[in-house]
Amino acid sequence: MSEQLILASECDVANEVICAPADVKELFELPTIFHIGDIAITRTILLIFLAAFIVVALLYFGLRKGNVIPSKFQAIVESLVQFVRKDVAEDIIGPEGVKYAPYLTAMFLFLLVGNLFEVTPLVNFPITSRMAIPAFLAIVTWLIFVIVGFYKNGFSYFLDIVWPKAVPIGLRWLVGLIELFSTFLLRPLTLAVRLFANLVAGHLMLTLLLGSGVIFIWNFADAGAKSLVGIAWFAFGLGIYLFEIVVAVLQAYIFTLLSAVYIQSSVHPEH
Amino acid sequence: MEGSIEVLKGGLALMGYGLAAIGPGIGIGIVVGNAITAMARQPEMAGTVRTTMFLGIAFTEALALIGFVLFFIA
Repeated sequence: MSEQLILASECDVANEVICAPADVKELFELPTIFHIGDIAITRTILLIFLAAFIVVALLYFGLRKGNVIPSKFQAIVESLVQFVRKDVAEDIIGPEGVKYAPYLTAMFLFLLVGNLFEVTPLVNFPITSRMAIPAFLAIVTWLIFVIVGFYKNGFSYFLDIVWPKAVPIGLRWLVGLIELFSTFLLRPLTLAVRLFANLVAGHLMLTLLLGSGVIFIWNFADAGAKSLVGIAWFAFGLGIYLFEIVVAVLQAYIFTLLSAVYIQSSVHPEH
Repeated sequence: MEGSIEVLKGGLALMGYGLAAIGPGIGIGIVVGNAITAMARQPEMAGTVRTTMFLGIAFTEALALIGFVLFFIA
């Protein structure tokens, strides 16, 4: 965000045309901080490790003692883990969903922390707005549900998708084609893009509204009364800020929920 | 105008995404509206209805998301 602010503060706020928009990539492709060998370490990569570290620390310190009467911190972590295990894994996949609960819990907490970086002061960068993370997690989910499907049902898993017995014979090839396309291609694609698009849009809106609000107010001396528009922008940005907290939590939940549903469709393909 | 073809392509991609968002917008409205009706009629089923509502939204959203991807590809 700071670079955008520098760029914006260089433009001419006194004239009619306020500012030519900078390339949007500058908001997401952060500059290299240092190199390790050939690998360029950016702020994004440091944040990814920070998110993973926070999740591990949360789970370790939250569940280390396992007291019968939990402390406040332990109660919070337990309710998070219990939420994924019971409300997502068991309710959707069924009794054998407990097997997938560790994966779902780890993914949910990582995405939650990564998404909430968007609205964390001084961090303000959602790591899930880089396609690599949602894409990787979607591919892992895809591998799990495809492998589980073939392992549990053999080749009939694939046959049931491309040749569904429940559909009248005349339409079977068409439904099979759509199902093949949607199961093996659209599921991972939409899973990844949903998270990515929501976080990109949120980060852009917050940067533009809060950033332009601050710039307008700072340039009060040059722009005069026009800069009062900045107050409205900033207030609108704060409203969006609250909305983005909801979006960050909701998108982490939806990603986990859909992963569970896709795994469920492989465990019990008849449903 | 310099680079006018590029400008035109960008504008068309934007319009395409706008068109792609119409259908899912209506669809999500229907899904959420019916979910609210169901929750109001049977508050004890609210949890199940909410989960199913999110699933319905997620599947309905797919077309808008494909439009979003095509916007970047175009």
